[in-house]
Amino acid sequence: MSRKKLKTLGLDLPIFPTTSVGSFPKPDYLLKARARAAKGTLANSKLEVLEKKATEFWMGIQEELGLDVLVDGEQYRGDMVAHFAGLMKGFKLGGLVRSYGNRYYHKPVITGKVKWPRPMTVRWWKFAHSFTSKPVKGMLTGPYTIMDWSFNEYYPSRKAACLALAKEIRKEVEALIDAGAKIIQVDEPALSVRPEELPFAIEAMQIVTRDLPAYFITHICYGAFEFIYPKMLELPVENFDLETSNSGLDLLNLFEQQPFTKDFSFGVVDVHTHLIESPELVQDRIKKALNLLPKEAIWVDPDCGLKTRTVDEAIEKLKTLVAGTRAVRQELGVA
Amino acid sequence: MEISLASAGSYPRIGDQPKQQRLRKAYGRLERGEIAAEGIEKIQQSVIKAALREQQEAGLDLLTDGQIRWHDPVSHLAGKLEGVKINGLLRFFDTNIYFRQPVITAKLRWRAPWVQDEFDFAKKVSKKPVKPVLTGPYTLARLSIVQTDAYPHLRDLVMDFAELMSREVEGLARAGATMIQIDEPAILRHPNDFGILRESITALANKKGNSHLALYTYFGDAAPFYDRLQGLPVDVLGIDFTYSSQLADRVSRDGSDKRLGLGIIDGRNTRVETKDEVFNFLNKILPRLKGDVCYVNPSCGLEYLPRDKAYRKLANMVKLKKLFEERAARR
Repeated sequence: MSRKKLKTLGLDLPIFPTTSVGSFPKPDYLLKARARAAKGTLANSKLEVLEKKATEFWMGIQEELGLDVLVDGEQYRGDMVAHFAGLMKGFKLGGLVRSYGNRYYHKPVITGKVKWPRPMTVRWWKFAHSFTSKPVKGMLTGPYTIMDWSFNEYYPSRKAACLALAKEIRKEVEALIDAGAKIIQVDEPALSVRPEELPFAIEAMQIVTRDLPAYFITHICYGAFEFIYPKMLELPVENFDLETSNSGLDLLNLFEQQPFTKDFSFGVVDVHTHLIESPELVQDRIKKALNLLPKEAIWVDPDCGLKTRTVDEAIEKLKTLVAGTRAVRQELGVA
Repeated sequence: MEISLASAGSYPRIGDQPKQQRLRKAYGRLERGEIAAEGIEKIQQSVIKAALREQQEAGLDLLTDGQIRWHDPVSHLAGKLEGVKINGLLRFFDTNIYFRQPVITAKLRWRAPWVQDEFDFAKKVSKKPVKPVLTGPYTLARLSIVQTDAYPHLRDLVMDFAELMSREVEGLARAGATMIQIDEPAILRHPNDFGILRESITALANKKGNSHLALYTYFGDAAPFYDRLQGLPVDVLGIDFTYSSQLADRVSRDGSDKRLGLGIIDGRNTRVETKDEVFNFLNKILPRLKGDVCYVNPSCGLEYLPRDKAYRKLANMVKLKKLFEERAARR
């Protein structure tokens, strides 16, 4: 358990810390502004004013709902890989590729040596932190996912590209720590898709986190954990944030067969449905996890980023999550 | 040995130039209710023609219609059957493309041909032979959610998909398809199910008539299963060489009794293959193959690439093949 590490970092979190995976939905005014900025009819400086307004809004919501570890909500990001590819050297914006139905996106291309340009997320982290005394997570996309979601025309292999990215992402981690961040989440949603590449994904995460004074979380989604568990526990992070409720808690069966040895951010609400779960369901889910893990190891959050929901749905889902968690705390007398 | 250059499935349906985005805009108008579904038809036809034309101009011998009408490789077929409801989005293997997952709610029943009209149209407008492509029964079943007592075992569902698909194969053969491609990427992740795969492919092979049946696998390393793939009742075996270097060693060691579809052009990355890479590969593999023809093709469908890159990859494949043959002739 990593309560000790939290304590060393000066973080005193309640049992079952409540948090979010990363993204929140963008309010309508921001969506419209982004569309105009993309067409070139709105200046970036004007767009940023609105991104800040939306960030402040979500910081207020998280405070009001009583979440324990906050996020900036990623109001300034489009896509979690393209955002970083757009800032780092060595990338070019690629042509349009379909993602589903009639949706297309510009997939980045690695065309040269990748290079960390300057702090990429620190400014937003500081801005978000200025609204709260609670810890705010630093939020990064991991090297394996950036590699997997980009074309590679420069490095001789996927592994070489991934490890090169890891060295640069580490610099961003260091910059966040310098700014005061103590909890840093390195998202690796692509990790479960090619089990044979897990060894170098682990090597990359070692490069990103080795000997740095922060509590590290990694978020992985898209199921298929059965192919990478328990090997994935070798990722050098304290906490795994896993999509769980979307697949009927199948993940917990895996934990039964092979004990889960890290802290666990438990996705207790499904981000792909409009339906708002009841606090009782959240309560019930947490208790199921308690059969397998000590209470000190469990964090509570949604399955994934909430950006696909409406603003109201996202707020309701967070509300139910906090209520369900508080009920379990009360029941156990740890409130 | 003749090297025939083939497409392996999908082709990008839009490009980065404004005039290549008509289909995207039309779907947008359809979603907003500004045009009726019939409004899409003409534009789809023109995009299919363009996809065929680009493959032909690049210099391919065997084309596909680019699967332009398909929402995705799974729901486009499964959704045409009775007993199937189409659910939410799920990631398609290790790609960044999402498919709508079929939910099996009752015993599957045939409603109408699946891609017959698509093939007829492509055949009519294409100057080169066109190969229809179907996602295979095993992969369709694997990617479905079963919510009915009609299918207690995966095998039962696979075989019902196969039974219905065999009608389609029969129809396509009768309509003049010289080769019919069945895609089974899922088997590489579930090698214990080779028995089920074999049974289902046999059902298709029984109805292929005069056409050649091709089985294509991709998105994984086929090396460990190469002998089992060789044992399937198909005429052509398509394999993806981009996932490991072991497969080339394996094929070079064991040779092939079947015609192979050599997926050496990476359909998932924009980097253009070099002459050395392709020549070394062909020198290693070709002497080990029996028969009079083999196919060289992208490792998978091309819609994972931007359109201009897809075209450039095909053109490069054609250029290198010509160069290779010229050198061989001089020797």
